[in-house]
Amino acid sequence: MKPFHLILLVLAGIGIATVISMYGNTTQYVAFPDAQRIAQENPGKTVHVVCKLNKAKPIVYDAQTNANRLEFYGFDSLNNESKVVFTKPKPAQFEHLEKMVLIGSYDKDHFLATEILSKCPSKYEDAPGATTASR
Amino acid sequence: MKPVEAPIVFNGEWLWLGNLGHVFVILSFIASILSAIFYFQHEKNQLSAGLIWGKRFFQIHAAAIVAVFVVLFSIIFFHRYEFHYAWRHSSNSLPVYYMISCFWEGQEGSFLLWLFWNALIGLVLQRTAKTWESPVMVVVAFAQIALGSMLLGFHWGELKIGSSPFDLLREQRPDFLNIPILGQLGVGNYLQVFKDGNGLNALLQNYWMVIHPPTLFLGFATAIVPFAYSIAALWRNNDRGWIAHALIWGLVCVGILGLGIIMGGFWAYEALSFGGYWAWDPVENASLMPWLIMASAAHMLIITKATGRHLFTSHLLTQLAFWLVLYATFLTRSGILGEASVHSFTDLGLSGQLLLFLLAFLALGLVVVLQGGKRRIALYVIAAVLLVPMLLAYSIHTPETVETFYQWLKGLGTLLFLGWLVYYVYALYQRTKVEMDEEKLDSREFWMFLGSMFLILSLVQVFAATSIPVFNKLFGYKTAVPSAADYNRVQLWLAMPIMLLMSLGYWFKFRGTEWSAIKKPMIQLGIGVVVLTVLLMFGFDIKEFKFVLFLSLSIALVLANTVYGYQKKKFEWLRWGGNIAHVGFGVLLMGVLVSSVNKNILSASKEGIDLAPEVDQKGNQDAKGIKFNRENQLLYKGKPQPIQQYTALYIDERKGTGVDSIDKYFKVAFIKKDDQGKTVDSFVLEPKTQNNAKMGLLAEPSTRHFIYKDVFTHVNYESSLDRKEPFSNFRIDTVGFFRPFITQTGKVVMTIDSINRSKDSNGLRIQLSIKAKRLGDSVWLRPEFLINEQTGSFDMLPAESNRFGIMAAILNLEIIDPNPATQNIRFVIQTGEKTPVWDYIVIQVIEFPWINLVWAGTIIMVIGFVLAVLNRINKQKQLTS
Repeated sequence: MKPFHLILLVLAGIGIATVISMYGNTTQYVAFPDAQRIAQENPGKTVHVVCKLNKAKPIVYDAQTNANRLEFYGFDSLNNESKVVFTKPKPAQFEHLEKMVLIGSYDKDHFLATEILSKCPSKYEDAPGATTASR
Repeated sequence: MKPVEAPIVFNGEWLWLGNLGHVFVILSFIASILSAIFYFQHEKNQLSAGLIWGKRFFQIHAAAIVAVFVVLFSIIFFHRYEFHYAWRHSSNSLPVYYMISCFWEGQEGSFLLWLFWNALIGLVLQRTAKTWESPVMVVVAFAQIALGSMLLGFHWGELKIGSSPFDLLREQRPDFLNIPILGQLGVGNYLQVFKDGNGLNALLQNYWMVIHPPTLFLGFATAIVPFAYSIAALWRNNDRGWIAHALIWGLVCVGILGLGIIMGGFWAYEALSFGGYWAWDPVENASLMPWLIMASAAHMLIITKATGRHLFTSHLLTQLAFWLVLYATFLTRSGILGEASVHSFTDLGLSGQLLLFLLAFLALGLVVVLQGGKRRIALYVIAAVLLVPMLLAYSIHTPETVETFYQWLKGLGTLLFLGWLVYYVYALYQRTKVEMDEEKLDSREFWMFLGSMFLILSLVQVFAATSIPVFNKLFGYKTAVPSAADYNRVQLWLAMPIMLLMSLGYWFKFRGTEWSAIKKPMIQLGIGVVVLTVLLMFGFDIKEFKFVLFLSLSIALVLANTVYGYQKKKFEWLRWGGNIAHVGFGVLLMGVLVSSVNKNILSASKEGIDLAPEVDQKGNQDAKGIKFNRENQLLYKGKPQPIQQYTALYIDERKGTGVDSIDKYFKVAFIKKDDQGKTVDSFVLEPKTQNNAKMGLLAEPSTRHFIYKDVFTHVNYESSLDRKEPFSNFRIDTVGFFRPFITQTGKVVMTIDSINRSKDSNGLRIQLSIKAKRLGDSVWLRPEFLINEQTGSFDMLPAESNRFGIMAAILNLEIIDPNPATQNIRFVIQTGEKTPVWDYIVIQVIEFPWINLVWAGTIIMVIGFVLAVLNRINKQKQLTS
């Protein structure tokens, strides 16, 4: 085998290894019970949960007590309910959010979200909603 | 017999303007088809008149595109909301310089911009392509046909081709004609209701958004030229003359695209609140992918031009670069990214058409690569493969047919597509392989090739990660989009070999190098890099091994290219292009490293009253809580708060200009004192919020730029967003000047101090200055009373102080003596009380050290590209003359 081909082979190897390692690191969109299980098996691993806000339960944000803590209840895509703690200030219009993606991990009795990706409600029902992220 | 319903007459519409625009769209479309046909005939059948007619029709096409542009702009400029595009993307209050941004908020406008750049590029090619004009212009005109079809807006039964920017509001939104108020006004007068538009996305109302998208689009558009030359060369029996042309345009593309990408980063940094300039957002990646591959392709073209090697790779990469532009368009315009991105997208139901666009260009490649009988078979297969989804895609109107189409696409389509791609690459290889002996390990082409391949590796990771939403859709996976950290982890290591090769490459000579000739400078450079690394790792405070390694490689990149340029080229600046571009890239990456590794969230301090520690059951502080939970701090108005080395003071806020402005600016002072208490540094930042009903709280950061760092702050929450406690304990007093009166509970004592009268078109405005005192503290309240002298009606504007928990309103005036000079007036004042609250803001403060290196590196890089392009053009001229 020529050295040139060997190098190409090595490069291809690096490429495949990169992609495999990246996909190995990705997470799935999960439900709250899965998130709970993953947190027990693998503490600190972040997961994504597609969540719908429970508008019937209180949304607690008191900036003067803790500006970095928002508490609310949400349903995952399978309609399991869970308490969620978000470690950033409350996004405005949060009460009107329809759907959001929580990024974080389960912690004891609540889901600890470090990031929320949300699709904001629109003024017009079919106007495509702009997506904003709170990073 | 049923009575014939009289057609509704719609009043006040400028239908002629839309019709005019539509005529120009159709004219440009037909002209591009004719241009392509004539150019094709000239190339294929040596039709001598073909060239001149191809030229003319393309010029007509270009003029028509400009006309469409002007018409669409007029519709926005004159606020003609009978047109959906103007209503959807603009509003009366939009300043003229942002009207241009309306073009890239909507999909039709974006296609129009792309058409415009392509038309301009076509005109440049007519002057510069010389003997290559006709085959290259066939490809450009073909692209214009495909893009132009996106604007046609033909509805023919179930068939929908394109989406016209001149569609009417009442046709797009027939529901609007049913709103109750039109029952009284008459449906024909609907324009009297729709007097204002929906408005431009607030995030786009930024000056960087006026110049960043067109720059990026120009970068995207230029990618077609190297592609067109590659196709033309294959068409002309594998002619080698295309390389010099493709290289120039490839360099132009990399330079402009690179500039456009970083401009976008700068916009994100200045206007968005995620705290950075790059977030590995799918849309950012969509622009990075063509850049990576075009940079790689340009280097391959340099190799092929100098040595004749790697012709296949040059062809493949230049074509891939254009395909990736199309793929990026598909990603960002089809709505497939959905929640994966912070950018907003519209889906006009053109996904099928976009996919066809992509496939059509792949087909073009296959047709020119194959010869004779094979070409004919390929044509039939392609026609069949394209026609079936075309019929399906164009008949999409119901969700069921969309589902059927995607089902079909998932199974057979994906397989067919992959097979097609593999076969194409194989055929291209057979056609363009070069039989030469093994290249030497000490040749420049070898190291450049290696570097290009590492760029491709970087691309592979970005592609695989960004395409996850596509794979999810295709195969029903549920994989979450990778985080920025996932990208950084991989890209950090891929950037290192790229930097190493960029430092070394130039020192090798094409076809082989005398090791002895470069041994000495290599050793000297090595020593220089080590010394500088040691100095800078302390200067920049970089400690971790991998980051030190990265830093040393970026230093090597800057040093090696500067030294090489000086040794070999002295002051012949035109020849410095490549080296300068490399130096710029090195400076850029150094800036990226330092500003992100040592990015310091100043507000993440453990002090301050808002930082209640999270304590677990055993009473230990929760480490996770501390790590995540402390990035924002609360500042009470007027109360200084230490934020690391600074003392931050929330001074005041002001409303944006304009009556119905929803902008709020918060004045925050930052003061830094030395040990003796002397102020060494102080500055005021004014972060902005916009409480947008549609998009939530948009925070626009405010940044203090130093040479060696930036201090960046934005408001994430403010007290007016809290649920308001209503006032109670109302009490009414009738008082004159200087006579103290108290609130219901007696906690606050007030005195009317002075009066201010003014007259404007609305009538007489009376403003009182009331001094309110509580526990030795005092505040001014300025309630107003408005009297409309014509109607005799009046209005009141109460004043309130959250800090004192009081409000005061003027209910009426009792004028005892009509002579205003005596000030003998008494006022009926209502006061109310609630729990006093301090106004506050919740802010995040971030320090970015040496972020200026990122911007400086970009500028240096662009200068390098300009020089490289000029140098190549010069060489080409010398060659032909």
